[in-house]
Amino acid sequence: MTANHEIEARLRETAGELLRQKRVDLFLGYEKASLPFRTTPLFLTSPDEVERLVWNPFCTVNLAVYLPRLFAAPADPRKAKDLSPPTVGLVLKGCDTRSVVALIQERQVPREKLVLVGVACPGMVDRQKAERALGEHEALGAEEDAQGNVRAMIDDEMEVALPREEIVSDACLECRFPTPLIHDVLLGGPVEPKDRDVARRLTAEFESRALSARWVHLQETLSKCIRCNACRQSCPMCYCKECLLDQTRPRWVGASTDISDVTIYHLVRAFHMAGRCTECGACARACPMGIDTRLLVRKLSQDVEDLYQYRPGEAIDTTPPLSAFAMEDPQDFLTEP
Amino acid sequence: MARNPYLPYSARIDEVVVENEARDIKTFRLVFEDPSSAAEFRYLPGQFAELSLPGVGEAPFGIASSPTEADYLLFTIKRMGLFTAELHSLEAGTDIGVRGPMGKPFPWDQMAGKNLLIVGGGFAFTTLRAAIKYILDPANRTQFGSVLVIYGARVPGELMYKEALAEWQARDDIDVHLTVDKADKSWTQHEGVVTTVLQGLKPSPENTLALVCGPPIMIRFALLSLGSLGFADDAIVLSLEMRMKCGIGKCGRCNIGSKYVCKDGPVFTYQELRALPAEY
Amino acid sequence: MTEKQITRTDLDKLLGFFRERGAVYAPAKDEAGDVALTEVGRAASVVLAYTNFRLSPKAFFFPQNQTLLRFNDGRAEEVGVIDRATVLFGVRPCDARALLALDQVFLDGHQDDPYYAGLRARTTVVALACMRPASSCFCTSVGGGPGDGTGSDVLAVALETDLLLRAQTPKGEELLSFAADLLADAMPAAVKEAQERIRAAENKIAPVEVANSAERLRKAYDSYVWETASQKCLGCGTCSFLCPTCHCFDITDEVRGGTGRRVRTWDCCAYALFTLQASGHNPRPTPKERWRQRIMHKFRYAVENFDRPFCMGCGRCIRNCPVSMDLRTMLKEVGP
Repeated sequence: MTANHEIEARLRETAGELLRQKRVDLFLGYEKASLPFRTTPLFLTSPDEVERLVWNPFCTVNLAVYLPRLFAAPADPRKAKDLSPPTVGLVLKGCDTRSVVALIQERQVPREKLVLVGVACPGMVDRQKAERALGEHEALGAEEDAQGNVRAMIDDEMEVALPREEIVSDACLECRFPTPLIHDVLLGGPVEPKDRDVARRLTAEFESRALSARWVHLQETLSKCIRCNACRQSCPMCYCKECLLDQTRPRWVGASTDISDVTIYHLVRAFHMAGRCTECGACARACPMGIDTRLLVRKLSQDVEDLYQYRPGEAIDTTPPLSAFAMEDPQDFLTEP
Repeated sequence: MARNPYLPYSARIDEVVVENEARDIKTFRLVFEDPSSAAEFRYLPGQFAELSLPGVGEAPFGIASSPTEADYLLFTIKRMGLFTAELHSLEAGTDIGVRGPMGKPFPWDQMAGKNLLIVGGGFAFTTLRAAIKYILDPANRTQFGSVLVIYGARVPGELMYKEALAEWQARDDIDVHLTVDKADKSWTQHEGVVTTVLQGLKPSPENTLALVCGPPIMIRFALLSLGSLGFADDAIVLSLEMRMKCGIGKCGRCNIGSKYVCKDGPVFTYQELRALPAEY
Repeated sequence: MTEKQITRTDLDKLLGFFRERGAVYAPAKDEAGDVALTEVGRAASVVLAYTNFRLSPKAFFFPQNQTLLRFNDGRAEEVGVIDRATVLFGVRPCDARALLALDQVFLDGHQDDPYYAGLRARTTVVALACMRPASSCFCTSVGGGPGDGTGSDVLAVALETDLLLRAQTPKGEELLSFAADLLADAMPAAVKEAQERIRAAENKIAPVEVANSAERLRKAYDSYVWETASQKCLGCGTCSFLCPTCHCFDITDEVRGGTGRRVRTWDCCAYALFTLQASGHNPRPTPKERWRQRIMHKFRYAVENFDRPFCMGCGRCIRNCPVSMDLRTMLKEVGP
């Protein structure tokens, strides 16, 4: 695995070149955030500022989430002829490129307007896990060491070593696509997935519990929900201009934290992700209450894979199952409910 | 203990009158169920109320009646969204809730002793009707100087309050000029936008306060006209609209800069508005 | 103001004693290991080692969902506030000060909110001074401090072996006199220790340039910084919902056949639909206007209307933003 500081240097070079040669109007990457275990998205337009770009274990945000907004048609169609969409370069991990593929398939972003700088990813740190691992101590700084673990500086000039696998994001532990599937530039060598079956094992374990126990677990998890919509807003695949769950004509679901409203919100989101979720884990990392937002979708993704042999975001020229129709498709659920 | 500001007064729709040819503007006459509610609901023209329909919600509307018009309230409402669509489907006799009065009225204290120029466009004329009725009431008329009204709509069929307009035009203590953007064969009055008529009449700014209500485009040009006629910014009074929920300055939704349209407005002078960010 | 003290080991007994008058909430660890204000059962197991709760205590006064009216056959009825005396122990000074800001909104003398008023009246707030501010804390830059008792009824300071309790309001005096038998008069040594600990905590907090924020923001209204800063904002509600002073809400009806309720729920100015009008016009159509509104509301409009920024420096928005936006950075970028 190529060292991060090498990748960082090449990333800055690449972004600088793209901006200088005007091959992109905008480069999306990450820069240092004000708190440890985090980076914050960086929207670069000037090649003189590429030194702000970083590459480290805290580059968690799925930058594909900004693409639908950048390529959205203007509300006033008369303005459309004056505005041409920008060419956007962005740095992407394996899971992020799956999101880009899915967005291209769903006609939300044009491939020819993107320059994809891929980096194979060994797994990113979940800041909530890292903070919990420190217990009562607060990190004042954090850095990756040569072995890929994280050293956190806590008070009194002490350092705590946090093994990578203990603080890496849950979605990363399940990752089957660490190497970008599409890219115009690939920085660093490919990375092999560690264990392709983690997700299946988790689903199997949950399904082995009694139905009532599963329901209790789900209710307990969801009862923490504060309806902040961070899961939805951080998801690249949730780009509807008006979300069904916000609609007022009619109002399908209330805005309260009553368990029925909360459950419907999460169930509907899970169903709308079936066959579309690219398993990046942005939703779970965004949740301020630490809810496992991926519990339901993980199962639905596996069902789609089993029924249709389809994994979203693998290749642009595949047809998502919900967009495909063949005459032989079973229809008995329509005619004989 | 003060009345719960979220609890509407119970009222009933007493009469529904269609105001325009397109039939999407109706005036609803509301009467309170409990006469003591009417006594509590003391308002001045320029204020608004939130009408409430259980299951549908609430929406804010300027009060189109004057308190001098006895114990009913008039609201002239255009069918636009969820609430107004439901309201338009209701008939006389239906129960409805009213919360209010809300907001600051037209600045009646400052208007006393002045000449008044009232400029209205289209559907926004509702609270101006309330103001004119109030001014013309025998108990109030002598408080004000001359009253000049310019009211315009797109076409003659869109002018509201046709009966009241005819009455006012027959009076000699008020000068009412009506105009339409596009006349039809039977129209004999002005043709042209409101600001054209305003420029033509050249009202003097001397000891005069202007009330202006209308669509954003009309307001923009009216302000330019009034400015060129010599009206100071604090002599021009406007009424604004924003999406509202609580109507009492708590839910945080209707602010323009540091002012809440529900509590600090909806009536603002142009001078006050210029100090606010252009976010409306 | 009355100053009392009690040994730390007797704190659980004190809270148990308060339970005789109503509900008591105190910090306790949940299954995930997070500390939150939890209702004290028969055996209290209060935890004093925490920075702050994930959620602010504003929900005790301004619940996330609150029934405003009940409808029966179309008739609207008020809902009463249950008159159950409540003591909140362990609220951090930043969150206690936030209540004064919320008071200025909900009890502004212009049609006061009876639901908020009822919950405020029945609740006694015992703040606990901070000994370990986080690096995201900046209460001292917005008029507060780790040992600031304003907004609370009693300020508690945890010392080596004791807890100092200082009444801040008549309600606080009343609470302390109710528990008089369990409390000793504060010793001068305890008062001194408290001062020193608080000063040490104050020194740990890095200052943020908030002074003149209203004027600086007025000048910067049309600055390009809003465009660039807001590009990252996802438009979720995390910052507003965790913030102890954010108070925006929505009102909706849940009614079937004339029976149901009118309920208010927390809302967020960062949401795209927040100011959308029925005509389709939206005064704040893009993230730029909405992010600017958020900062303006907190550091300019609130200062102009209420003489205080609507930010208590608790740092929750900074710690929890999914894309790590930081309003301290924003305040710097706004310029002089």
